[in-house]
Amino acid sequence: MSRVERGRTKGSGDTAGSPEAGPNSGRASVAWPLLASELSVLFRRVRTWAMLAALAAVPVLIAVAVKLSSRPTAPGRGPLFLDRISQNGLFVAVTALVVCVPLFLPLTVGVVAGDTLAGEASIGTLRYLLLAPTGRTRLLLVKYAGAVAFCCAATATVAAAGALAGVVFFPVGPVTLLSGETVSVGEAAVRSLLIAAYATVSLIGLSAIGLLISTMTDVPVGAMAATIVLAVVSQVLDTLPQMDWLHPWLFSHHWVGFADLLRQPISWASFGDNLLLQGGYIAVCGALAYANFSNKDVLS
Amino acid sequence: MGPARRRWLTALLIPLALMLAVMTASVRAGATVSLPPKTPDELVSMMTHTPVRALSGTVQQTAGLGLPAVPTLGPGTVPGAAPALEFLTGTHTARVYVDGPAKARIQIMDALAERDLVVNQHQVWFYNSADNSATHVSGGTEPATPQEATPAPVPVPTPGTMANHFLTAIKADTRMTVGPSSTIAGRTAYRLDLAPGGADTLVDSVGIDVDSETGLPLAVEVKAKGQTDPAYTLAYTDLSLSAPDAGLFDFTPPQGASITEKALPAKPTPASSAVPPSPTGKLSHPNLTVTGQGWSAIVALPAGSVPSSITANPTYAQVMQPVPGGHALTTSLVNVLVLDDGRVFAGMVPLDRLQSAAAAQ
Repeated sequence: MSRVERGRTKGSGDTAGSPEAGPNSGRASVAWPLLASELSVLFRRVRTWAMLAALAAVPVLIAVAVKLSSRPTAPGRGPLFLDRISQNGLFVAVTALVVCVPLFLPLTVGVVAGDTLAGEASIGTLRYLLLAPTGRTRLLLVKYAGAVAFCCAATATVAAAGALAGVVFFPVGPVTLLSGETVSVGEAAVRSLLIAAYATVSLIGLSAIGLLISTMTDVPVGAMAATIVLAVVSQVLDTLPQMDWLHPWLFSHHWVGFADLLRQPISWASFGDNLLLQGGYIAVCGALAYANFSNKDVLS
Repeated sequence: MGPARRRWLTALLIPLALMLAVMTASVRAGATVSLPPKTPDELVSMMTHTPVRALSGTVQQTAGLGLPAVPTLGPGTVPGAAPALEFLTGTHTARVYVDGPAKARIQIMDALAERDLVVNQHQVWFYNSADNSATHVSGGTEPATPQEATPAPVPVPTPGTMANHFLTAIKADTRMTVGPSSTIAGRTAYRLDLAPGGADTLVDSVGIDVDSETGLPLAVEVKAKGQTDPAYTLAYTDLSLSAPDAGLFDFTPPQGASITEKALPAKPTPASSAVPPSPTGKLSHPNLTVTGQGWSAIVALPAGSVPSSITANPTYAQVMQPVPGGHALTTSLVNVLVLDDGRVFAGMVPLDRLQSAAAAQ
């Protein structure tokens, strides 16, 4: 129970049974320490660091593999820009993000988002969290903020490790965009950051789904697996032409749309569409998670 | 009402509100707008005298020709290998930039790739990011236009060029009516409906949406007989009539790209303007002959017109069905007959008409 003692049991009074009760004043002062404690717990876990390390290994592996391979990659084979990595290290980050977006990033985000509430429930700490005068809604928001923070950290890790591996192993120079135009190193770095931001936005909807599933069960592994399975199912459905009426509503529909950031001029349409879609998923799943969690009997 | 139920109701309000917002948006998008009435001839005159010389916009092409849909990912897809066949299914998006008659750029936005066609005076570049290859077409004394100097087929023309093809090719034998106005790419548009008079074509009707302000065609929709969904649509989803950035038309191939040089064909064929617009991309072949006219025109290519790179493509075998003496691509709108000796017959007519045209030669 050391996690709870670490700054979470500030204040007193039992609001667990009636989360709407009590004055609003004084709650804001509780939320920030709660968020800080949530983040420190999340980023002090060995599991979190192991997942970030695994993500960082992807660009490094790509860079090493390309460096060691004797024959050059044929254009058009393998993931985006794989053939150009050996000429320009800046492509490592983009290629790594392309590789990570379909599976590795959803995998890690599913683990974190699925664990948010179910994890606390399974080890019996959820009850103690609710003893503090934070209210369930606030706890839900803090938990979601923690999951989003991990999304940012995960994509930033891939992008940073990719940039580092690219600079170490390969020459760096002006970057060719999909439109055939060439941009400077500085603008290429800005575009890499934009792609990382795009990937983060893509994952916050999945985090909301994971949070909703996490309110439904006390078994964290179940919530994690369900979240990851949903991410895979959504992507499979997205490739079936027979389901094309469903495609615009799938949360993974715009996941690979970050290629639009590599066009000249940048096409912001898919970024906006993605933001809107993920916002919809956050609103719906957040509302359902609120309803489910605020009505839940917290027994453990 | 207990607190539990109240919370669920509150929570369900949000999905409900979102659903309402989506439905309102879609209803408003399909709503008709009221514009001062115009006759079909006035609309045609508006289109031919459109003052628009520069634009930048996004064009979306959707083909529902009754062909089996090909998965967009996974094994079996050959990116960039069969552009002619690829554009017969599914949805494709392209950005179009035009500045005067001599400068144009089309960017076909594939998933994680892009194909660019840049036309600037005498210089034409075709760039494919998937294999990092560039084709340069130069020469010719007159400024090239996108229709004439295309090194590879431009499968995503603009609604304007499509509408012009219909209007120039199919004047006779057509009933023109004005349909309900609508909003396309944020602009109000008249609807001009063309219906073929004869019975021997596969086309049921062609709808052209004409910008109420400038007369620019904003969308073209082709319906096939016996099919409720449009067989082919080409529409702007986004349009700005200001001149695009001049730097877009200065194309320098990137370092490391494989570059092919091609000379411009000496003289563009006059027959190309009479070809019915088929999305198969055979618009600018020098040796084609046209028999029949209007909607039932049949385009014929002499022997040896089909390169083996197309017939050897696995997608070719998937979509072509064997018929006596060759193979046929049958869709709800266009039929293409490829004979074993390499002759090609195509038209918006039933397959047996193509076969009788082939037998007559």
